[in-house]
Amino acid sequence: MSISRRQFIQGSLAAGMAGAAGVLGSGNAMAARHDPINEAQADFFKKFDRNVVLLPSKYGGYVQALDLAVPETLAWYNYGLAGVNMPIPHHIAALPSADPYKGFDFYQTMQPPGTPYVNENSPEWRDRGDFKMFKMRYDGSGKQNHIEVVSDIGVTTGMSLGVHASIGVGENANKYVAFADGQKDMVLITTIDDNPKIVKAFRADYDPVKRQLHISHIFPDATTGKFDYVGRKGMKTTHEAMLGEELMPADPTAVFVDAFTWHPTLPFGAILIRRLGCCAIVDTRTWEVVALLSTAKGAPENFPLTRQQGFTWTFTVPSVLTPLHEAGFITSGEYFCACNNVLQNNIAIYRATDENPLKWKKEAFVEGFGDKYLPLHMGNVPDSRFAYFTMWARKPNNGYICKVDTKTWKVVAKWDTGPDPHTCDCSVDGKYMTTVYSGNQGGQSGLVILNVETDKIEARIAVPGGMHDHVVVPESWEGMKFSRSTSV
Amino acid sequence: MKSKATTVSGGLLKRRIASALCTAGPIIFALGLLAIPASTVLADGKDGTFPSAEQVGGEVFIQPMAVGTKMPTDIEIYDSQAKKADFGSLVAGKPTLVVFFISAVPVSVAQLKKTEEFVDKYGHGTNVVFVNADTMGTHLMGGPAQAIPSTAATMRLIKKEHNLKRDMYVAPNDVLSPKGVSTRLGIRGLPTSFLLSANGTIEKVFVGPQDWKKGDI
Repeated sequence: MSISRRQFIQGSLAAGMAGAAGVLGSGNAMAARHDPINEAQADFFKKFDRNVVLLPSKYGGYVQALDLAVPETLAWYNYGLAGVNMPIPHHIAALPSADPYKGFDFYQTMQPPGTPYVNENSPEWRDRGDFKMFKMRYDGSGKQNHIEVVSDIGVTTGMSLGVHASIGVGENANKYVAFADGQKDMVLITTIDDNPKIVKAFRADYDPVKRQLHISHIFPDATTGKFDYVGRKGMKTTHEAMLGEELMPADPTAVFVDAFTWHPTLPFGAILIRRLGCCAIVDTRTWEVVALLSTAKGAPENFPLTRQQGFTWTFTVPSVLTPLHEAGFITSGEYFCACNNVLQNNIAIYRATDENPLKWKKEAFVEGFGDKYLPLHMGNVPDSRFAYFTMWARKPNNGYICKVDTKTWKVVAKWDTGPDPHTCDCSVDGKYMTTVYSGNQGGQSGLVILNVETDKIEARIAVPGGMHDHVVVPESWEGMKFSRSTSV
Repeated sequence: MKSKATTVSGGLLKRRIASALCTAGPIIFALGLLAIPASTVLADGKDGTFPSAEQVGGEVFIQPMAVGTKMPTDIEIYDSQAKKADFGSLVAGKPTLVVFFISAVPVSVAQLKKTEEFVDKYGHGTNVVFVNADTMGTHLMGGPAQAIPSTAATMRLIKKEHNLKRDMYVAPNDVLSPKGVSTRLGIRGLPTSFLLSANGTIEKVFVGPQDWKKGDI
């Protein structure tokens, strides 16, 4: 047997590295996951074992997978590598993985850069960025972890949407993922396979004269099998309404669709419609719109259907007492919570157990937030004892995170975690609530870990990049119910 | 592509708007705003306060200023060179169509050329003033001081690319303030155009994109 000079050098290097690792006693430096044994922080962080957090950096243009138990970044990916000039990774959701260290899939949406951060209609910015939905894959099975694009769902379906991604649970588990966008007022449901198929798409339009909301099924071109809404096509406004900006003058038909959230136990989902303060409940067996909840305090439980013509459901919305932003179900599915904001800063609590959503009624409001803090995002815990809400604020105020008891619907704890707080997402064991703050895309930024039982801030981890969202990779489809699915 | 609302916002829309404007609501709201005492704490974007519903019209979709009322002349505006201009003098003493739009709403920008061509053909010399009722984002690009210059530059670009004859103006707008131009005028959908008489009285209101036809102004 002969050995080449190159093989000899490689063998010598490998032997040398193995020896060095043995001397340092801290594991193999080439391992895909660092072993922090004997490091000062090791004992403290090991309680977060099995929690891998995905953190998209909005104006940084990348996503990173953070192993909370070390802590270290396992891998990161800049979406510029996918050909996007000035990518703005926006919202994120991860499919379950029994071993997230070995691998998992996730969805990332992005939108073009825009107001309030840059003038998206200036020559310098108007061709930068794009609407995208990527299916992504983290692979930690080898010596070098990496993240890669699995599919560009906008290209596959012909529809690119840039806001929330949410994955089906309960009766819709292991089947569907939903995407939404408030610049186009559209929702797209696809299958979750690597080559996704269009399942259903919706478009919402407001008629300001008749004060009617039309929600329609929209269909791909029969010859191509695709929509014609890639990139900026179909855009009603060139930037998404900023938080609390639902009163902004916009295209007269604009309603600012935000997300599709999934009922964990019944075959329903909710289309969140910010500007109309409404949530359209969809039967996911037929994809028919079965109710339009009007979530404001003082508004009826729902607005009745005025007519259905073909695949268009028309509701008369005589008045909108307040916009809303996010809304979702608690893990048990017992309640649906809607974050009314700007004109009413409260959270409407509907009982959502009846198989007829027209019978869902508001049983309580979480109130007392004053006139500077808007209820925004919602995070769940496995046993549904609590729901966490982000209370967003404009400068000069930071905003805060609050914990609400789901028996009394009272705030039982709150934390000023940092300026410009965003999403809350629970650890896989349900013991910790993670939350991010983004410093208005330029200032302080980090990840905060709250202890669900003691309310103590367990850790604060420096994470650059202004996260507008994040997700803890769930372990199972049951765990998906308290991930980015039932609530956003 | 025309949206559905575009389809319904021609004559039908105008009749409905005219009907709606006959109601007393908008007038009461406008008078209500004028009646807010100076000492009242208002949402002004400085201390992060959000307005109460009452301060901004009671609900999301408020009505535009009504026919028969006088258009305020103290609206803060800047010309396309970012220099402060006088809105009152732009509309004084002549019939004027004031078109509010924003560069962020493509359907409202697309309406500018159509409006200009219509007025040139059927407007009997009506004065036209294009007002961008917003400033564009500059948070990461120089901050508030750049808002007017950046938006004014975009106005120059729109004028050039759409081959418009008229100058365009920028009206900074705080959507969360009762004093904001969109709340004062009741603008929620763009474009919204007000036809003013020579003395500044609102004669007609056009909400949404219009299929202009002879006799509209």
